[in-house]
Amino acid sequence: MAQKYITYNNLLTLLDELGKDYEVYTPVKKGEQRFYRKYAEPADDIVIGEVRPFEPLKAFFSPAREKVADGFKPDIPHSENKPFAIVGVKACDIKGLKVQDHVFVDHDYQDPFYIKMRSQNLIISADCTCSIDTCFCLALGTKPFPQEEFDINLSKVDDGFVAESGSEKGDELIARCSRLFTETGEYVLSKKETQRRRVTREVEENIKKNDVPAQERLGGVIDKNYESDMWKDEAKTCVECGACNTVCPTCHCFLLYDQKNEERMARFRMWDSCMVKDFARVAGGANPRPRLWERLRNRFEKKFDFFPKTADMYACTGCGRCISACPAKIDIRKVLKRLANAS
Amino acid sequence: MHHDIENPYRPIETEVIEVITETPNIKTLRLRPKERISFVAGQFIELTVPGVGEAPFTPSSRPAEKDIMEVTIMKVGKVTERIHQLNKGDIVGLRGPLGKGYPIDSFKGKEILVVGGGCGLAPLRSLMYELFDRITDFKRVYYRAGCKTAKDFLYKEEIGGWAKRPDLDLRLTVDEGGSGWQENVGVVTTIMDGIQMDYASGIAVVCGPPIAMKFATKKLLELGFKDENIYLSMEKNMSCGIGKCGHCRIGTYYACKDGPVFTYAQIKNFPNIWD
Ligand code: SF4
Ligand code: FES
Repeated sequence: MAQKYITYNNLLTLLDELGKDYEVYTPVKKGEQRFYRKYAEPADDIVIGEVRPFEPLKAFFSPAREKVADGFKPDIPHSENKPFAIVGVKACDIKGLKVQDHVFVDHDYQDPFYIKMRSQNLIISADCTCSIDTCFCLALGTKPFPQEEFDINLSKVDDGFVAESGSEKGDELIARCSRLFTETGEYVLSKKETQRRRVTREVEENIKKNDVPAQERLGGVIDKNYESDMWKDEAKTCVECGACNTVCPTCHCFLLYDQKNEERMARFRMWDSCMVKDFARVAGGANPRPRLWERLRNRFEKKFDFFPKTADMYACTGCGRCISACPAKIDIRKVLKRLANAS
Repeated sequence: MHHDIENPYRPIETEVIEVITETPNIKTLRLRPKERISFVAGQFIELTVPGVGEAPFTPSSRPAEKDIMEVTIMKVGKVTERIHQLNKGDIVGLRGPLGKGYPIDSFKGKEILVVGGGCGLAPLRSLMYELFDRITDFKRVYYRAGCKTAKDFLYKEEIGGWAKRPDLDLRLTVDEGGSGWQENVGVVTTIMDGIQMDYASGIAVVCGPPIAMKFATKKLLELGFKDENIYLSMEKNMSCGIGKCGHCRIGTYYACKDGPVFTYAQIKNFPNIWD
């Protein structure tokens, strides 16, 4: 699909158009953070570009709390909500979606709830136009601009965007709203590339400054450091809040929870945290990971040992959310550095 | 396009048709699911008490019996406590069967040593029924079981009946003897010696509390069983049962879908498998 140009005002018209079929979300900026907000009308705080929002994209595909069974009825509990059109999605979150896809779609068993969201939702992603200190996507092999899994990707150039379709849905949307798009010229395309190079360089500098190892250096590091004292050391300040899991775009674990009403069976699933003591405890009381440092090690083992061995990818996107979210200042970059440097 | 995927989280409505008290803290429920469920020994199910929650159990009944399933349940937590209050006629929910059971076809023509302890005798009963149903397929079946005391022994009378079978070599033990116990006293490994079988080609099936499995496995290895011929039932905190919720990971596997039955060869290199 050839690339088109869309002005900011036309993009807003496109969002209105999308509002007929979707619940549209865009990132907005509050202070130094970005959050997703339901789009209603043009507003000054909307930012399409910049860096990833506070919340991980997974919230749109497997909500923090969701009903998964209603009585003994075989059907999938039905929701009246329109599907989501999520605008301004970042490349790191798309990598997160690939991990989630592996768990819920490309596996021995399929999850009908996730699959429904995945097939109905629309993703309008956007290149990062800057980086923040915690960004290290490139170390995990993700470039700061989306290259796959989007319906339309936007690259900000001047007062508008270069729009590239990445799916049939994207093609159709651009065709249907062709009046909102114009042709691109060499000028905008080269500006797009220049910007991509500039942001890539910024992230490279981040990685260098923080001495984050590239993923090529992470092979086998968990096995090698399994008995290391570093886990106790790193976990010293952890308060077991689970924030690292909640904000992580790849963490997928959940808890099945039944409504406390004996007359009416209703089952929900809620995000769960492997940092919490009872996560792996069996009913009889045995707990394979009673100590906090064992659970911290387990979190890294899942991301940097289990996933590469079973899904051929690290379950880390380099988004840096866990660094910002952790009240104990546990820094994944530092842990990875220690892992890679120990021999 | 994907709308024909069944909801993997909804339980099937199931009637409790009988409650059997086995020991002071163990009961067996006879269950009749409203939809037919067929399982192989070693697979597990999730049992829902409406309004309370769900917990994993391994059926203890004859897999060939297709309309009824029995589950033997020890009172250990919130859900099992509520299960122990269930009566005939109550409605519960059932999901499954889940996971992989024993690959019995691959045991054909071989000698099989079944080693069980405590609550592990429940899933093993289901296996024994399946072995009995096709006993001539196997060269010889050996059964070695132990419990803490005679009064904790599951299915005492039934197992007593098996002792008379000419096609089964059976020995029982209790950790603490007394009150008329006639057989061996000691942990289960004390009755694993002196079996006249070819260990190197034999199949071993072990099910019981982790500590018992650990020592039984050690013993089997000393006797000369091969890693890939030792089948273990790994108890983990199973919830979703389909490899999604993340609770039951063991190394590079999920116990719920890749197990709960694993060979020792599959898991021996993972750290802390017995914890
Ligand atoms: S966010 Fe930090 S303090 Fe909270 S559980 Fe994770 S590592 Fe521990
Ligand atoms: S029980 Fe959910 S992953 Fe195994």
